[in-house]
Amino acid sequence: MADTPAHVPQLPWVEIAAELCKGCDYCVKSCPPDVLGFSTDINTRGYRFSFYKGDGCTGCGICFYNCPEPSAITVYRKPTDKKAKKVLQ
Amino acid sequence: MARELVKGNEAIVKGAILAGCRAYYGYPITPASEITETAAYFLPRVGGTFLQAESEIGSINMVYGAASSGQRVMTASSSPGISLKMEGLSYCAGAELPCVVVNINRGGPGLGNIGPEQSDYFQMTKGGGHGSYRLIVLAPNSAQEMCDLTIKAFELADRYRNPAAILTDGFIGQMMEPVEFPEPIEKLPEKPWALDGTKATIDNLISSISLSHDELEAHVTHLAKKYAQVEENEILYEEYRADGADYLAVAFGIVSRVMMTAIDTARARGIKIGLLRPITLWPFPKKRLAWWGDRLKAILVAELSTGQMIEDVKLAVSCKIPVDFYGRWGGNVPASQELVRAIEKLREDHP
Repeated sequence: MADTPAHVPQLPWVEIAAELCKGCDYCVKSCPPDVLGFSTDINTRGYRFSFYKGDGCTGCGICFYNCPEPSAITVYRKPTDKKAKKVLQ
Repeated sequence: MARELVKGNEAIVKGAILAGCRAYYGYPITPASEITETAAYFLPRVGGTFLQAESEIGSINMVYGAASSGQRVMTASSSPGISLKMEGLSYCAGAELPCVVVNINRGGPGLGNIGPEQSDYFQMTKGGGHGSYRLIVLAPNSAQEMCDLTIKAFELADRYRNPAAILTDGFIGQMMEPVEFPEPIEKLPEKPWALDGTKATIDNLISSISLSHDELEAHVTHLAKKYAQVEENEILYEEYRADGADYLAVAFGIVSRVMMTAIDTARARGIKIGLLRPITLWPFPKKRLAWWGDRLKAILVAELSTGQMIEDVKLAVSCKIPVDFYGRWGGNVPASQELVRAIEKLREDHP
């Protein structure tokens, strides 16, 4: 997607599945450090989607709890997280 | 009038306003939220009322109230939200109140997902609500029809004093197409039965209760006669490349669009198949299908469900000919190649 910046993961970070996002904007609006953006591109279902701007995530999880679409948002917080370990390798 | 590239969901609201609708009570739900959002934007601008209720149940009861005053009023939701409105719709039908309800069918049952399905066919045509009522159900398959059939829905609702519904899938609701918007309706029908807030109408009564059994029997008889008139006069359908067909496909909504492509391919391969697209799902084009039942080798019904409309097709042809089914569900929509394969299988199975 054109305007999603290339992301170098650094704990904590948030991963948003663009194809599962329906563009409700709740995560963007509720993020306390304001590290989420809203794309101008659309996904294959025709919705604009949110994305992590790249740094500043505190791992608070507010975006995850606000998101109405299950599995669209994953928040990586702990270094012991298996998935996080895999991505960080 | 104006020609615009617009989302199906938005075309509904613009059509409604052109039809004189000035009251919208709703609640957001994907994939119908744009209807509520568009209504919130435009209704105040035309001097109308927009209110987001506390829930879908709240909004349908507001519709009941507004309809009692004679206004053209509507609400919109998607599958689980429509389930919430069912009691209210039964009340509107019982009290003979016109209104328009839009269902943008999403994946179900339960919370499901936000993908398109056609699994609310039973809910809308056989009544998710209680009692002896029917909804007049119109099924658009394009953004243009989202506008035109909404206007038609208001007309039918007023003519028969009954709720009318638009049933379509999340695909048609979300897609953007050019729409030619008509001129606004000049004159709305008179409603002497309504309560306009003045002394003149103070003796009018809007109610769905009939404590006396004889009274309710008479009332339901009256409703049944009304529904018989709707069945007699208001059936709408479209046929595509059906001339001289040996086989017929029956589909509505987005499936009908994909099916037309599949039929073009099948016809090019020498299979004589056409499409019958019901536009009114209730009343269902039974007589036309019965006519076809005497002339075809087989019918293929394609739906985004495990098979609902197919029951009405089988009934219409009185089981005289085989009626096969091809379905996808869960939010998945068939590609035309799949439907072509289904058509080829139909011919193989019923040569």
